[in-house]
Amino acid sequence: MLRKILLPTILILLAYGFWISPDFKEIAAGVAIFLFGMLTLEEGFKAFSGGTLEKILQKSTDKLSKSISFGFVATAIMQSSSLVSVLTISFIGAGLIGLTQGVGIILGANIGTTTGAWLMAGFGLKVNIASYAMPMLAFGIILIFQKTKSLKGIGYVLAGLGFLFLGIHYMKDGFEAFKASIDLSSFAVDGFKGLLIFIGIGLLATVVMQSSHATIVLILAALSVHQITYENALALTIGANIGTTITAVIGSLSSNIDGKRLAGAHLIFNLVTAFVAIILINQIMYTVDIISDAIGIASDNHTLKLAVFDSLFKIMGVLMFLPFVDKLVNFLHRIFKEDTTKSNAGFESARFLNNSALELPSTSMASIVSETRHLYENAMEIIIHGLNLKRHNIFSSMPLDEVIHDAYAHEPINIDEYYNKKIKGIYGEIIDFATKAQANMSPNDIEVLYKLKLANRDLVEAVKDTKHLQKNLVKYTKSSNVHIKEQYDKITKDLAELLRDLDIVANAQEVDVRLTLLSKAKVHTEKYDILANGTLDNLIRNSLISNEMATSLMNDTAYAYDISSNLISMAQRMFLMSEVGEEISFNQDDISEILTKER
Amino acid sequence: MGVKKFIKSVKKFLNLENFEAEGKKKSVKGLLQQLNKRKQTLKKQLELELEKKVKKELKEDLEIVSLEIKKGKAILYKLYAKKRKEK
Repeated sequence: MLRKILLPTILILLAYGFWISPDFKEIAAGVAIFLFGMLTLEEGFKAFSGGTLEKILQKSTDKLSKSISFGFVATAIMQSSSLVSVLTISFIGAGLIGLTQGVGIILGANIGTTTGAWLMAGFGLKVNIASYAMPMLAFGIILIFQKTKSLKGIGYVLAGLGFLFLGIHYMKDGFEAFKASIDLSSFAVDGFKGLLIFIGIGLLATVVMQSSHATIVLILAALSVHQITYENALALTIGANIGTTITAVIGSLSSNIDGKRLAGAHLIFNLVTAFVAIILINQIMYTVDIISDAIGIASDNHTLKLAVFDSLFKIMGVLMFLPFVDKLVNFLHRIFKEDTTKSNAGFESARFLNNSALELPSTSMASIVSETRHLYENAMEIIIHGLNLKRHNIFSSMPLDEVIHDAYAHEPINIDEYYNKKIKGIYGEIIDFATKAQANMSPNDIEVLYKLKLANRDLVEAVKDTKHLQKNLVKYTKSSNVHIKEQYDKITKDLAELLRDLDIVANAQEVDVRLTLLSKAKVHTEKYDILANGTLDNLIRNSLISNEMATSLMNDTAYAYDISSNLISMAQRMFLMSEVGEEISFNQDDISEILTKER
Repeated sequence: MGVKKFIKSVKKFLNLENFEAEGKKKSVKGLLQQLNKRKQTLKKQLELELEKKVKKELKEDLEIVSLEIKKGKAILYKLYAKKRKEK
């Protein structure tokens, strides 16, 4: 509703402004070009988000101090806190970083945005910035038309910077020309009233432009030609800082729970900081004067002093919040709770798949990997309980002969019910998400994604096969016929061994351990063929089992073989993703070679 | 100088030509090192007095690891042969 009214109002106001003042047209065009530059710059940095950025983010966010530093550096380089926020939300969504680290990045990004004010005040207003913009635009556009992703990315970054500079130039020129016709400084309001009015204007301008960066640049351009007073500029800066959170909150409305929590953190941080800044405005201004004197900024150089104020006020906010980050995170978890209506009924849904992770191919891939892991955990649980075994026994060093005799329950579990609650929904969501994700992926990524989809299918098939095996397994492991019992105990033991090995494969860091265990599992699986190894013939010939038992055993060894094969191929696709590992991994010929040697 | 020739010479100058192959070679070498270490450990374990069943399992492990080393070496030779051919 608000948007429906807001957009036409802004357009009408702009059209009116253009009609009455050609200089206003220049300022507005400057802002538009500046914002377009920011979009282009974001596009450019997204081109580099195929690995490097993510690796840096993952490695540099394990501690809060590192997260803050990362947020600062990333925003200073990319000159866009919104891109850093988007990346952060998608990384939290994909489960790659926690909310605490995310909050740290946002705190750092807040300080990072101050570099924009320094660049503008120290460089942008002092030189003919348009002369730098032109070659950047020309080179940038040529590179954008190149096929190579990295060249395209560099092109977007160059063009983005070019547009930013050009935008600043137009804003500066516009305000200078504007001064000749209207003196905006005559609208200055002193005192606390002025502070509140200009905070409101700064807030509104940022909500309209969707960028505090653009507002601050506009403030500096106006301040440089004395169109606004220094005090009012400070108030506008505080307003811009509040306005940026409203933009983030509006953006998070369509986002997932993590996006909402992060936007909540952003809102609380900026509101509290702004509140403290309003209360301590005189003290902060006094401190700005002292710092400016100390670093040699002239007392009448208001643009640089504004940059000092912007930095001081944001650093102060971060320092103030540092001891309370964990409390803030806990508070946000309490306020924004996951939708548990479905999981309360026992139906599990995806944990890591959300639209925010679809922003980048790498985060969507990471989400699918994490979710596949979730499905794997659930499938393992169902298979283990389906075989009437206890999970903690499987994942311990308990001898397997003991593991298979320590039953999970007296009655077999209902695998269908478990499947519907713990597998079906998640599997469906993974497939749906993967289909959406692959639209932005490179052919190589799509290949990896395809393997992950197959791994998911293998897990589902393994659960379904367990259901078929379960009926006779429970029946014959309790049979009075020792021969059939022995055979079913052997099937259970072999599967228990495989499940134990898979757990090691899933958690081992060393490739050689994963590789060797999978090869061993492949060799062992081939031994299931009781027709080939003569076990079944022997049992029938000596009338040790009935015909019915023989048929069941034959079918069930086939199911056990399918469970093993599906689980092994899943593990190979999931835990042995490297090309080298896959090439060295055993094929049918290798398995035959080992089996021949053993015979 | 054509664009293709220029890119080729830049790649050569920056040693980017076999970047992918070099990366693969490095990971095969690393894996072979780990597998060889494992092979030696298994051999040492087999020299000890052990139960028949444990010994059988260790022998199987040794055979698997040996075959994996053989496959890894074959990949490495292929990569070297490719490099020689390109020269």
